Amino acid sequence: MALPDDPDTRLIDRLVARDERAFNELVRSYEGRIVRLLTRMVGNEEEAKDLAQDVFVQVFKAVGTFRGDSKFSTWLYRIAVNLCKNRVKYLRVRHANEREELDSVTEKSLGDARPAGGQGLGRPDEQMAGKQVERIVQVAIQELEPSFRECLVLRDVEELSYEEIEQITGLPAGTVKSRIHRARAMLREKVERELGEKIR
Amino acid sequence: MTDPQQPKDAEVEDAESADESGPPSSRDPMAALLKRSFEAPAAKKAAPSILGGVQRRIRKRSRGKFFADGWSTSDARVSHALIAGAMLLILVLSYFALGPVGVQ
Repeated sequence: MALPDDPDTRLIDRLVARDERAFNELVRSYEGRIVRLLTRMVGNEEEAKDLAQDVFVQVFKAVGTFRGDSKFSTWLYRIAVNLCKNRVKYLRVRHANEREELDSVTEKSLGDARPAGGQGLGRPDEQMAGKQVERIVQVAIQELEPSFRECLVLRDVEELSYEEIEQITGLPAGTVKSRIHRARAMLREKVERELGEKIR
Repeated sequence: MTDPQQPKDAEVEDAESADESGPPSSRDPMAALLKRSFEAPAAKKAAPSILGGVQRRIRKRSRGKFFADGWSTSDARVSHALIAGAMLLILVLSYFALGPVGVQ
């Protein structure tokens, strides 16, 4: 389980009472995780930071509605995932999802990493090759359907339990599991196609 | 997702459920590669805080009701110590300037 420790009830009480300093504490505790999660989801760090600010604004507005049915961190992740979904939709409609950061890197790295004739990664610099593989993965995951990507990131990168993912996404257990499984398979296929070799 | 080659939902769920113990990266090479790919860039940089931006947005949307002044809510202890020191200094100077020092 990778969800961070929850703030204690006193901090939550202070948040509900609109204590600005309590809110500052909360932002400082969670901003790193939220920005990282959103960067993985939207594939662009600047977009993720902008979105993360909206997440905390939403938390500030809605903290009074937190009933304690789930962990506070689960509730926070749910807000982040929902806002992220809306942003991805908006960006798609506007054709603004250029993924500049990753794309620019990838164009270059794919050219370098893609082995001639698809016969495995080029040597001798294995470390460099490893980085290129990582970039290929970062780009490939952005090509997945957002609803699949969301489940896969929460499970494989954030290492949340299925139960937590169900609570965050609002999806039934079976759907969560099947999306994770299929997303992993699709990602594997994309990465193997780019690499020209099997992942073992 | 309607490809007949694809496994049925129940099979997929079973395969996932069988894997529930421990982090996925310890079992599945694709999951391990995915985790590694995202951990590397995250570990490299310590991003600057977004707190200031969040405070600004709340201030704007609440029309100044919350986080009304930028400096007092910045959570930086140094600014409080500086203000306290400056106030103390002003008090001491005022005391010596206005008080009956050396009058006999």
